[in-house]
Amino acid sequence: MSLSRRDLLKLGVVGGTACALPLDATAAEHRPVPPPNAVGMLYDSTRCIGCKSCVVACAQANELVPDTTLDSIHQAPNDLNAHTKNIIKLYKGTGAESSEYAFVKRQCMHCLDPFCVAACPFNALEKNKQTGVVSWTPDKCIGCRYCQIACPYEIPKFEWDAFNARVVKCEFCGPRLAKNQEPACTFVCPTHAVIFGRRDVLMNEAHKRIASSPGKYYENRVYGEKEAGGTQVLYLAHVSFSKLGLPSLPADEHPGRWMRWSEMAQKWFLLPVAIYAGIAAKLKENFREHEVETNEEHKKTGLIPQI
Amino acid sequence: MSIATQSHSDLTVVRWQRGVPVFGVPVRTKNFYFLLALTLLGFALVIYRQVAGLGAATGLSDGFPWGIWKTFNVMSLTALGSRSFPIGIAAWLFHKRRLHAVMRTTLLISFLVYLTGLLAIAVDVGRPWNVYNFFSIFRWNTMSPMWEVLWCMPLYCMFPLFLENTPPVLEQAYYFFPPIRGLVVWVVPIIRMTYPYVVALAYVLPMMHQSALGGLMLMAGTQVQALWQTPLLPLLYMWAAAFIGVATTIGAMMLCCLAWKRPLDQSILDELVELMVKLIVWWAIVRMADVVIRAVFLGQFMKMLTPWYLPLLFLAEMGLIVVPALLLRRKEVRENQYQLFLNCFLIALGGLGYRFDPTTFAYRHWSRTHYTPAVIEILISLGFICFCIIAFTWAVKRLPILPAPVEQWYESENYYKKIYPYIQLSGYGDKDQHRPSYAD
Repeated sequence: MSLSRRDLLKLGVVGGTACALPLDATAAEHRPVPPPNAVGMLYDSTRCIGCKSCVVACAQANELVPDTTLDSIHQAPNDLNAHTKNIIKLYKGTGAESSEYAFVKRQCMHCLDPFCVAACPFNALEKNKQTGVVSWTPDKCIGCRYCQIACPYEIPKFEWDAFNARVVKCEFCGPRLAKNQEPACTFVCPTHAVIFGRRDVLMNEAHKRIASSPGKYYENRVYGEKEAGGTQVLYLAHVSFSKLGLPSLPADEHPGRWMRWSEMAQKWFLLPVAIYAGIAAKLKENFREHEVETNEEHKKTGLIPQI
Repeated sequence: MSIATQSHSDLTVVRWQRGVPVFGVPVRTKNFYFLLALTLLGFALVIYRQVAGLGAATGLSDGFPWGIWKTFNVMSLTALGSRSFPIGIAAWLFHKRRLHAVMRTTLLISFLVYLTGLLAIAVDVGRPWNVYNFFSIFRWNTMSPMWEVLWCMPLYCMFPLFLENTPPVLEQAYYFFPPIRGLVVWVVPIIRMTYPYVVALAYVLPMMHQSALGGLMLMAGTQVQALWQTPLLPLLYMWAAAFIGVATTIGAMMLCCLAWKRPLDQSILDELVELMVKLIVWWAIVRMADVVIRAVFLGQFMKMLTPWYLPLLFLAEMGLIVVPALLLRRKEVRENQYQLFLNCFLIALGGLGYRFDPTTFAYRHWSRTHYTPAVIEILISLGFICFCIIAFTWAVKRLPILPAPVEQWYESENYYKKIYPYIQLSGYGDKDQHRPSYAD
């Protein structure tokens, strides 16, 4: 009639191993697809001269307070932070590779299946269904900072010093996009190291560049094509991406993969409701027995039963 | 002090039968004032944190956005609060009737721990004025584990746990405050009618949000080291909460009995130990099976070994949980009170470690930023814990919560009769005119 404990445990063990095994096997079926009008950026590290025009333009376009913590004169942020949505970093090789160097532009990757959006409890971070831009709405955010925990690129930043703290990350210059202008960083880039366009167009362009000069680019591949299920900001570089601080993420490393089983369990709250119904039914029966027993005891001892 | 005796061969066996207030002990002791001072300090600092902002009050940074309020007070300590669901399920669904004796204590601790857990979340949340989004249904992201935690925790604390904790209060009001008797007699049948449904909810909600707490770290993907990160994390977290809850229940009962000189009921402790050991053995088997499967078949073995200190932490955790559990299977260890307490303490330590590590040591272990909790953070966290302790000691001294042999009930009646002569705690037999109607 009801599950015995042994059955329950068996179910747990069997179900558990069943959950663990097909983790990678079925992942391919759940690959995220880009939205219909997905915009994107292509950053080519070999073309970047590290002038940081984009950093300044970004701060200007987004009305960010200049970060002058370094020398209290210049706007020189040392990393992405609450006043910096976009930054140029320099990688310099050491030892045998000491002649090697490369710039890298760090900003929100606008993943096809973003961890931050899956994590956000009240949809404060949302992915636009048309353009695929991930943006933040102040009204909905309760400041739990789960997006920061979830993001594998460590992109969303929290305004720790402010009372009205905001989550700061690249939002693809939303107001500029609305006016049919391209984002500030791609607009000002003097060498076209970072360009703006539709994601599919940029992807073709990136592959064309790789094809036209084979061996120039690291592993002849585009970072962001498959990483974490694919991103809308794409990278080309002549050094390994991990040296540039871009994490190596497998193609199936996206929330859909990790949350699949919990999503199934939570679908329409069917499992919790079923468990609730089962427990309640059994409990009602046992409660009645318990009442009879306590009543007998009450008659015997003359003490009011305790619930 | 008289001890309930049942001749059982030639042994004197203590049986916990009823919740009895700890009578004749002052509430306001030196320790009480000390803890109260710490609590008030903590709550004053909460105001400071709300005014000054998170950055000023905590050691948090973008690299480690969650500090001890979330990782310790919420992720780890609520495991102590989930003690009532394994014990309740064993008592109600698997007919371990004797365990009902400790239910009131466990429910009270659960309620207090959850209350402070909620306070910790409220303090930790960076934009508290937007919390109204709980009720804006079109903004819900029901697939977010955070949403589930934020909903299930208050719901569990405010509804089933609150209702389950009302009987001792009503009972005390019935005896000591005659004007309210009519109300009690009116309310109690309602409680009894709805009790199974509320209690069933009290098992489903903690199971849901304890697994959601594991789900929280699931979303961090490969940022949590491979020894901890597994799709089974929700299940293992819930399971760990169950055995930590039982272990700390044993510890709490022993401490209370030591502090207020009450006899221990070895048979109930044995049953709790048996429950805990079963939970731990199966938990350990599932966890090891999961680790081995992922190491051997999914090729995560090398990932599991880096950095060098995390495998050691893993072993320490498992050792702290499994070794005491195996020791407790032996009768002489279980019946030695010192050993029993020590082993339960170690299990709780290991279990809390298991719940704490994925969010701290095993999370972004490559990160160059480090997190050290600020003094204010620690004091607020401590203030919440002290609040739990003083509320608990106050409640058990005023309400019939801690279990005792029935003789103590009569003793308490004699004691209270000196202060309130009209008190009648016993003698409601079949023919008694004052027999409360709800006892039928």
